[in-house]
Amino acid sequence: MGSHLVIEGLHVEVGGVLVLKGLDLSMRSGEVHVIMGPNGSGKSTLAHALAGRPGYRVVSGTVSLDGVDLLALSPTERARAGLLLALQQPLEVPGVRPYDLLLAAGADPSGLRERMIDEARRVELSPDVLERFVNVDLSGGERKRAEMVQVGVLRPRFAVLDEIDSGLDVDALGAVARRLSAAAHEWGCGILAITHFRRLLSELVPTRIHVMSEGRVVATGGPELAEVLERDGYEPFRASAAQPS
Amino acid sequence: MTTFADAATSFIALQPDAADRARAWATFEALGLPTTTDEVWRYAPLGELSLERFAPSTTSPARAESNIVQGLAAHAGLVVRVVDGVVTSTGETLEGVSVTSEVTRRDADDVARYADDAFAHLNAALAPTTIVVRVARGAQVTRPVVIVHRTDSRASFPHTFVTLEDGADATVVEYYEGGEDALVVPISEYRVGENAVLRLVTYQRLAASAWHIARSTGVVARDGRLLQAVVGLGGYYDRSRNDAVLAGPGSHNELRTTFLGAGRQVHDFRTHQLHLGAHSSSLLLSKGAVADESRSIYTGLIEIEHGARRTDARQTNHNLLLSPLAHADSVPNLDIRENDVRCAHASSVGPLDELQRWYLESRGVTPADAQRLMIRGFYNEMLVALPAQLAELVERDVTGVLESVTAVAS
Repeated sequence: MGSHLVIEGLHVEVGGVLVLKGLDLSMRSGEVHVIMGPNGSGKSTLAHALAGRPGYRVVSGTVSLDGVDLLALSPTERARAGLLLALQQPLEVPGVRPYDLLLAAGADPSGLRERMIDEARRVELSPDVLERFVNVDLSGGERKRAEMVQVGVLRPRFAVLDEIDSGLDVDALGAVARRLSAAAHEWGCGILAITHFRRLLSELVPTRIHVMSEGRVVATGGPELAEVLERDGYEPFRASAAQPS
Repeated sequence: MTTFADAATSFIALQPDAADRARAWATFEALGLPTTTDEVWRYAPLGELSLERFAPSTTSPARAESNIVQGLAAHAGLVVRVVDGVVTSTGETLEGVSVTSEVTRRDADDVARYADDAFAHLNAALAPTTIVVRVARGAQVTRPVVIVHRTDSRASFPHTFVTLEDGADATVVEYYEGGEDALVVPISEYRVGENAVLRLVTYQRLAASAWHIARSTGVVARDGRLLQAVVGLGGYYDRSRNDAVLAGPGSHNELRTTFLGAGRQVHDFRTHQLHLGAHSSSLLLSKGAVADESRSIYTGLIEIEHGARRTDARQTNHNLLLSPLAHADSVPNLDIRENDVRCAHASSVGPLDELQRWYLESRGVTPADAQRLMIRGFYNEMLVALPAQLAELVERDVTGVLESVTAVAS
C-alpha cells in the first residue's frame, strides 16, 4: 500500500502577504510530480509552508499525509511523519557535522557513514564534503547534492525539492535526477520537484506536471504539458487567463 | 572571632618578606575594595562583597579529586598540586621543566602594571609563595604540565609564574577547583622568550558560590608565541582579566576565552592586548553562552603603540543568549597610535538562530537535540583549539552544565 499526500485549498501568508491562494495537489508514493511556474507564483512558499518554516502562516486549507493532519504537527514531527524538504538555499549550521545531524534526525546508526558516502557518490559529491560542517564553505551545487545525501539516507515517504536544479551543471543535474528516479523505485519515495527550468524534465520523467500561477495550481497534466510549456511559455497559464475547469 | 584584617596581619608578620607584604597590604587598604561606580567594576555584584565574608573559619575537609583532575592527570607530563596557593606535590620530574616555590617577588613592571588594582595588592600581600614553572632554553616539552589549584580555605591567593626560555615549547594547564563560599584571587605571570611557544590553558571550575577574581599578564619576546585559552565555568562571580604585552618584534598572541553562565552567575572577561613590537600580531576570540538569569561581560582593548608597525590585531566576541532573562554585554575597544596596522573587531549578542534551528528540525531532529547540536556547534570553534583530551573534558563539562540549565529560550 502506498502513501498519499493531499493538499486542499491551501492559503499561506508570508510577511502579511497572501501568497498561496487555494492550492490543491494530490500525489501518491512512487510518483514523480513536478511543479512549474514563473517566479513569484508561490512554488517555494508551498515548499516552506509544508515544512513549517517560521514566518509562513497557514491561513486556511489542509495538508494530510495518509490521513494525518500534517499542519497540526511541528516541523520535527512532519519530517518524522515522512515529509522531507530539500531547500533551494540550504542553511549553514556552523559547528554541526552532517553525520551528527543525520543521527539526531533518526537515521539508523549502523553503517550510517558508509551510506552517507554511498549517497554522496551517487550524486557525484566528494565524500570529503560530508566532513565539513553542515553547508559551511560549500558551493551552491555542493549544497544541493548534500541535501540529496540527506534524502538518500533518511528515505522519506515524500521528498519536496525546491529548485534542486539551480546551481547544478548538466552532469550534476543528471546525477541528481537519476538519484531521485531511483528513490521512487527503491522505497516508493514520492517526489515533488519544484523548478522553473524545463531542463530538469529531460532527466527526471514526471508522472504529473502542475503549473502554478498566482498561488494556485492552474493546470495539471502528463509529460505532454512540458511540451506545451516549451512551445508557449507560461503566458497561456496565467491565473487570470486560465479558465476554470 | 578573627577578622580578615587580623588574620592577614598575623600571616604577613610571619613571612620572610613581611615588609614588602605589609606595604602591599597598606596599599590595598588605602585603595579599598572597588565599587560599581568604577567603570571596570560596573557589572560586578560588589554590594555583596565584603572581606569579612571570607574571614578565616574552619577549613573545609579536603575532598577527593574530581574526575576532571583525574582526566587532566591521565595525559599530563607533570602534575603540580597546589592547595590554597601552596605547592603540596610537584609530581615526577619532567625533562626541561623545573617547578619551585619561591619567595613572592614582583618586578618593577608588575608593580607598575598593578598599581591601581586592589586585588593584585591583596595577592601580593597574601600569596603564600610564588609557584615558578621554568622551561629550559630550547626544551621541547610534548606532554602538558598541569597545575591543579585547589581552594580549601575561605580565601586563597595563588601566584603563578611561568617562564619559557628562548626557543622552548611547552603546554601548561592551570586548573582551579574547590572554593566553596570562598574568595579566590589568582595572579599569573607568563614570560615567553624569543622563538618560544607557550600553549596555555586556564580552566576555572570553582564551586558555584566562589568569587573568582583572576588576572594574568603574558609578556612575549621576539618571535615568541603565547597561545592561550581561558575556560570559565565555575564561580558565582567569575572575573578573568587576561593581558598580553607583545613586546618583541614578530611576537604573537592568541587568546580564546570561553564561558557558560547558569543560575545567577556573572562571567566578567577583560582583555588587553598591548602591541609594542613591529610585525606583532594578536588574535582574540571570546565566545560564551548565558542561560537562566546569568550574565556576561566582555571588554577588550587592543592598544597599538607608536612604532608597532605592521601589527595585525583582531578581536571577536560572540555571545549566545539561552534564556530571556540572561544578559550579555560586549565592549570591544581599539586604541591605535600607529598608522601602518591592520586592526579589526566584531561582536554579536543573540539567541540561537531560529532558521538554523528550523532547518535541523525539518530534517526530523527534535527541538531539544537541535538546540544541543547548535550549542555544541557554537562552542566547537573554541574546543578545537584545545589539546584533544582537554577538549573532551571541557565538552563533557559544558554538556553537564547545559543539562542542569532550567530555562532555555524557544
